Amino acid sequence: MAVKKDYMDQKLAEKLRDRKYYAPDSNPEFLKEVEKIGQTPAHMCYQCGTCTGSCPSAPRSSYRIRLFMRKAVLGLEEEALTDPDLWLCTTCYSCTDRCPRDLAPTDTIMAMRNLAFRRDIVPRNFLQTVQLIYKSGHGVPNNDANRAARKRLGLDEEPETTHKYPEYLPGIQKILDHYRLKENADRILAEGE
Amino acid sequence: MAEVKNKEARIGVFVCHCGTNIAGTIDIEAVKEYAKTIPNVVVADNYAYMCSTPGQNKIADAIKEHNLTGVVVAACTPRLHEPTFRNATAAGGLNPFRFEMANIRDQNSWVHMHQPVEATEKAKDAVRIAVAKASLLEDLVPKSVPVEKTAMVVGGGVGGMQAALDLADAGIKTYLVEKSPTIGGRMSQLDKTFPTLDCSQCILTPKMVDVYRNENIELLTYTEVEAVEGYIGNFDVTLRKKARGVLTPKEAEARGIVGGGCTGCGDCANVCPVIKPNPFELGMAPRKAIYIYHPQVSPLIYTVDFDACVKCGLCVEACGEKKAVDLEAKDEFITVKVGTAILALGYDIFPIEKKFEFGYKNFDNVITSLEFERLICASGPTGGHLVRPSDGETPKRIAFVLCAGSRDNTDTGKPYCSRFCCMYSLKHAHQIIEKIPGAVPYIFYMDIRSFGKMYEEFYYRIQNEGAKFIRGRVANITEDPVTKNLHVNAEDTLLGRPVDLEVDMVVLAAAIQPSAETEKTRRLFGVSCSQDGWLLEAHPKLNPCGTTTAGVYLAGACQGPKDIPDTVAQAEGAASAASIPIHKGEVELEPYFAQCIEEKCAGCGMCVYQCPYQALSLVEKNGRTVMQVTEAKCKGCGTCGGFCPGGAIWMQHFASPQIIAQIDAFLLGGEQ
Ligand SMILES: Cc1cc2nc3c(=O)[nH]c(=O)nc-3n(C[C@H](O)[C@H](O)[C@H](O)COP(=O)(O)OP(=O)(O)OC[C@H]3O[C@@H](n4cnc5c(N)ncnc54)[C@H](O)[C@@H]3O)c2cc1C
Ligand code: SF4
Ligand code: SF4
Ligand code: SF4
Ligand code: SF4
Repeated sequence: MAVKKDYMDQKLAEKLRDRKYYAPDSNPEFLKEVEKIGQTPAHMCYQCGTCTGSCPSAPRSSYRIRLFMRKAVLGLEEEALTDPDLWLCTTCYSCTDRCPRDLAPTDTIMAMRNLAFRRDIVPRNFLQTVQLIYKSGHGVPNNDANRAARKRLGLDEEPETTHKYPEYLPGIQKILDHYRLKENADRILAEGE
Repeated sequence: MAEVKNKEARIGVFVCHCGTNIAGTIDIEAVKEYAKTIPNVVVADNYAYMCSTPGQNKIADAIKEHNLTGVVVAACTPRLHEPTFRNATAAGGLNPFRFEMANIRDQNSWVHMHQPVEATEKAKDAVRIAVAKASLLEDLVPKSVPVEKTAMVVGGGVGGMQAALDLADAGIKTYLVEKSPTIGGRMSQLDKTFPTLDCSQCILTPKMVDVYRNENIELLTYTEVEAVEGYIGNFDVTLRKKARGVLTPKEAEARGIVGGGCTGCGDCANVCPVIKPNPFELGMAPRKAIYIYHPQVSPLIYTVDFDACVKCGLCVEACGEKKAVDLEAKDEFITVKVGTAILALGYDIFPIEKKFEFGYKNFDNVITSLEFERLICASGPTGGHLVRPSDGETPKRIAFVLCAGSRDNTDTGKPYCSRFCCMYSLKHAHQIIEKIPGAVPYIFYMDIRSFGKMYEEFYYRIQNEGAKFIRGRVANITEDPVTKNLHVNAEDTLLGRPVDLEVDMVVLAAAIQPSAETEKTRRLFGVSCSQDGWLLEAHPKLNPCGTTTAGVYLAGACQGPKDIPDTVAQAEGAASAASIPIHKGEVELEPYFAQCIEEKCAGCGMCVYQCPYQALSLVEKNGRTVMQVTEAKCKGCGTCGGFCPGGAIWMQHFASPQIIAQIDAFLLGGEQ
């Protein structure tokens, strides 16, 4: 376990914090759980970096998918789930396409997000998206600019979705209710106020 | 067949501890005590290492003391110690084929390490089954067959050449069969060789000349193996000598053309109107329809590419009185007899264009390492000037992509390490630093595998010379459509930062794979391959040059990726192994032959067609048609024995009563 040293100055204390990796930092169950949910053997990652090299998020942020793979292998649950970078994957699947070990890093990230959600660790914009889907069936609902563009292209203003067929919205709401997604989103957002 | 009849079986059982390998899991004492209760067992014993001298003595002594008719050792595997225990059985005065092994290590204690109770029960079963068979074993006598005093090497790369030279120097006449018009293989395409940086051609050409001159080597280039029959000591190999269209001086003489035949002058190629890409230069230089690959070929004889030739006859005219060109040439078939054979079939480059993300064949300035070798080589298509295919400019920033298609578990790639790409990429980095002022090599790598003698030192040297190493596998490459420069995208995993490196040229260290005709040729010789297509050695550690087919050996990259030092070392090992049966003069064949029980044979002849080794035939005997086995050809596979509707075929050492007794012993739990 990390050795704690007390400095009067809080900033200094954070700067000089013990950053070593100690065996008790690691929860081996974390890897098992991530692999069970993600259905990809994350422990076979050999840290080549092809995923990060392919990732559209990486050049724009501090998000490194490879490091999340590493944290899965080492069972660094706390570090992985509390890292806000966890939510920067666009789920484009470029990494999954190219990983030479034939892993699906995207699915590892998804598994970790699931586990984070269980602990109410979710960015607000994700929760707001849940609310939007509940309301409209869309994470990004149609808007006037879109409608105009569709019209120019000779398409109907509304796409072939709940926008055109609102009678299907209750079905979607049923799914979200079943998983208590909406309920939890509302709750967490309210608690955060 | 049997000399001593099994009137009354008297079996001895010996249980081995193998240190703690077996005893750590299996209750040896319990197995021994159980063995004593099995019918026919008259003595049971155990020892820490049955294979040791005291262990073997126990067997020999017990045979004499208890007048045993059969021996069972419960230990490792027949593959490892069957010969050992057969010798011990013979030392006790019994026929060695009266020994039977129960595998309680590889197939038991090693796999059931955490289930000692069940493992012990399984060991008891194995011993009971072995005793059942041992009770019915018979005396068998191995058959000796004479060995033809000639050998064959297939593949004339550096591996095949070395093997042929060693065999020839050992006094053995050797046929060296090479499918292309010249020997030399991949090594003749290389510029320099790591880690010493000697010029590849300079060290290879003298060997090529030696092969050509050696009186014991019959060099057959532009020749392929068509069929193989027979067995160790007596292979009949049919070869197809592909129509070359050009006569050697010897062949010309045989046709009565005095002083004729190809002298390698090249007058024919000068006049030939047909231009094709030269595969030796990977298509980067032209050749004519009548051609040699490069000036140092051996033999120096031109070849007509009949798929391209328009039969204009200009070459015939140019050749003049030498009368070497024969445009009517046809493939010829010859059959030669050899005692042993070595396969040295080499490798090909994996078609790296299949990995779209690297852009090979899509972007002009992405080349493979083999193309790099030709471009940097003074005798290559550009006279040794490395240039960008897009504009002929000299590249200054060059990225080397390691593990391109190797260590790749997707469907498009090879799971293994290609083993020499790290090292030759270091060599390439050195070459550009040396040749191009101001050039910077960027090496994208996952691990630098520099495991050979003086290899790590070579790595040190190249790093010191200024090569830049980026630890990350390349994710993808894109091209600037205007400049034709390339952007290499990867993560510098040591910094944890994505990299977008603009370079003038990218060199892909592409994976390698077995050469195109390996599959066909290995099947002809009955050699197995591992999952990845490389030829399978008899044992990865203890018999790396042999194969499971007696008399056939392996040399070089065809057995798995190998650089030149390893290829040559294995070639010398294979040559030595292949010469042993020839020097001995005869080989013993395991007596697991089929035998015809003539009274039961109806002469239907159906078995003759079943046999995969053509070992069976029908003969007249005492006015009846019966089947006859050519014992030396029979491999004891049992196809015929299992098939014969009349039960007239007796498989020695694997006879039906013996196998049924084993099954009974298993199912009935010993109470037969
Ligand atoms: C770019 C590159 C650079 C390299 N640089 C180095 C280096 O610097 N140092 C080093 O040690 N190694 C180097 N190597 C490795 C080297 O090429 C191999 O170690 C060596 O060529 C292996 O020799 P071989 O005889 O086993 O196979 P090959 O050289 O492939 O020869 C096989 C021969 O068999 C023939 N053949 C194949 N199938 C048949 C058949 N069915 N019937 C008849 N003939 C057949 C082929 O035509 C060929 O002539 C390099 C490899 C590459 C790709
Ligand atoms: S690409 Fe695959 S093997 Fe490479 S670092 Fe990413 S997850 Fe690991
Ligand atoms: S799926 Fe996510 S982690 Fe993978 S490349 Fe896309 S954004 Fe990056
Ligand atoms: S006959 Fe064929 S090989 Fe000879 S010159 Fe004409 S095209 Fe060339
Ligand atoms: S030798 Fe080096 S470059 Fe080649 S596959 Fe192995 S690790 Fe990769």
